[in-house]
Amino acid sequence: MPTTPILYLKDVVKRFDDFTALDNINLEIFEGEFLTIVGPSGSGKTTLIRLMVGMDEPTEGTIWLRNERIDQTPANKRPTCMVFQSLALFPHRSVGQNIEFPLKIKGVSPKVRSKRALELLELLHLPKSFYNKRISQCSGGEQQRIALARALAFDPEIIFFDEPLSALDYRLRKTLEKELVDLHERTGKTFVYITHSLEEAMVMSDRIAIMNSGKFEQIDVAEVIYSKPVSRFVASFMGEVNMFDFKCDSKGDIKIDGVEIRSSVLTKDKQKKYSKKAKGTLMVRPEFVRFNKAKETNDFQIRGYLRAEYELGSRIQYEVDTLDDSRVIIEKLREDRFKGKLGATVVIGWDIKHTHFIPND
Amino acid sequence: MRSSRKTVYFLNAYGVLVIVFLYLPLVSVFFASISKTRYLTFPIRRYATHWYLRAVQSPTVSDLVETSLKIAIIVTVISMLVGFFGALAYARYHWKYRNAFQKIIILPIFFPQAVLGLALLIWFNSIGLIPSWKTAVVAHLVWIAPISTLIIAIRAYSFDPALEEAARDLGASTWTIMREITVPLLIPGVISAGLFSFLLSWGNFPLSLFTTGADSTLPEWLYAKMVSGYSPLVPSVGFISIGSSIILLVIAYIAKKLVASVAK
Repeated sequence: MPTTPILYLKDVVKRFDDFTALDNINLEIFEGEFLTIVGPSGSGKTTLIRLMVGMDEPTEGTIWLRNERIDQTPANKRPTCMVFQSLALFPHRSVGQNIEFPLKIKGVSPKVRSKRALELLELLHLPKSFYNKRISQCSGGEQQRIALARALAFDPEIIFFDEPLSALDYRLRKTLEKELVDLHERTGKTFVYITHSLEEAMVMSDRIAIMNSGKFEQIDVAEVIYSKPVSRFVASFMGEVNMFDFKCDSKGDIKIDGVEIRSSVLTKDKQKKYSKKAKGTLMVRPEFVRFNKAKETNDFQIRGYLRAEYELGSRIQYEVDTLDDSRVIIEKLREDRFKGKLGATVVIGWDIKHTHFIPND
Repeated sequence: MRSSRKTVYFLNAYGVLVIVFLYLPLVSVFFASISKTRYLTFPIRRYATHWYLRAVQSPTVSDLVETSLKIAIIVTVISMLVGFFGALAYARYHWKYRNAFQKIIILPIFFPQAVLGLALLIWFNSIGLIPSWKTAVVAHLVWIAPISTLIIAIRAYSFDPALEEAARDLGASTWTIMREITVPLLIPGVISAGLFSFLLSWGNFPLSLFTTGADSTLPEWLYAKMVSGYSPLVPSVGFISIGSSIILLVIAYIAKKLVASVAK
């Protein structure tokens, strides 16, 4: 991973009247990385990107681009640029004029401008004939590429993306996600992408930052965020998950209501980190929970009955209701399909190596 | 949506009714204007076109046209300018008193014009302005500038605020954004607003009646002549006035198309 910070946010706070949209944000963005900021609606990600681009100023804190403080610099004086959610292509200008716009502002000659616009059309897999087309004649995916070309024409240090793919259909989105990754590699620019779609974040990013209520919950590579979330929020935001409350007894042994725990696990686990009377959440992803055949045992085991079975395409999802009324989600690949009748009693379980503990604060 | 046969008949009948209702009065004005007799009689027995010749040649009429035109043109220019910036304040900028501004600006449109005219006359007198065509310009603006603002504001609402932000983000200064984005996108609205302003001012009677003082506009004269001293000159002048409005509409429509095609 690259290691030079290009953008640095220090103790950034943004308030609107009484509402605190961003609460003490600290973030380092590294040169050349693809960082995705993910969060539910209203988590403050759009506010954050507006501060980084320069369309708003922070109430408190500072923003640094390399070694220059930029939090008071307006957007038109910053060497960064954004692809808007609505794309914001100028409807009264042709495709070519849209792409050339930032060059025109910089005072580049028309000849050089059009040459560059044609290069960018090619880079984004658009035919040269698009140069004279009107924006309204282009499809959603084409407009997406034009917006990207216009941002690249500006030659920014960082390109920000404000959920630009959210309006497109599934297939097109998937194609463009991969094109973006490819473009990121080819241009070597720093990409900062915000989205509420976890899938988008997982496919594209070097690092993912999870945002909730104006704060970062966790910033790390996808793998770590998925398998070792720091909070229940991150765990549940990163896809389907099974979570159980645990508490430790006076000996430091983990206890979970309704779950049988193999004693060897306790011995092993006690050497780790749990103090007496500790409380927290045990987390296991659905793909690691197994249906046990007779005589098979796991580190953690629950009895229940099969409640429902859903087709997810490449996988099949099962819901198992346990005897004490909690619900466990299990996912299996098609080839590992579980052949049980709905309502049948099942024993399910998983092993310690697939288990992640989230201690309570 | 596909319409059934009945619906089609109904729609056609409705369309014909609307046209008859709106345009029959104009037709009768036209007939009145080509009557040979001095008095308004119906049916018309003898036709003549000499009233049109009189209308064109009359120095009184040309004076009236000049005054009305002067007022309408100045009102149009000012209300386009005020309307443009007013629309930005109305629709684009988030400022503390925007909500109040949006309501206050609409009020004059709903004042009965005669009351508004009288109020303005009293106001002009009290600050020592002698009513003339110039005060009429002010009076017309009180009523027309808000309308023009609203027309341009509708246009301003219909485009994405992100366009201006995007332009700024790509390095454009406030003036460049105005020149490259805001003005070109609002121009169709500004043209419509100008057209409305001109026609509303040109045809306005109640405000002019109170505020023109010794000067007289065409609608005022038409009214005065109708009350006393009627001759087919009145409908002739009226019809010429309507005709020029229609010509203006056509010109504006073509201009709008041209601007739109150049902008693209």
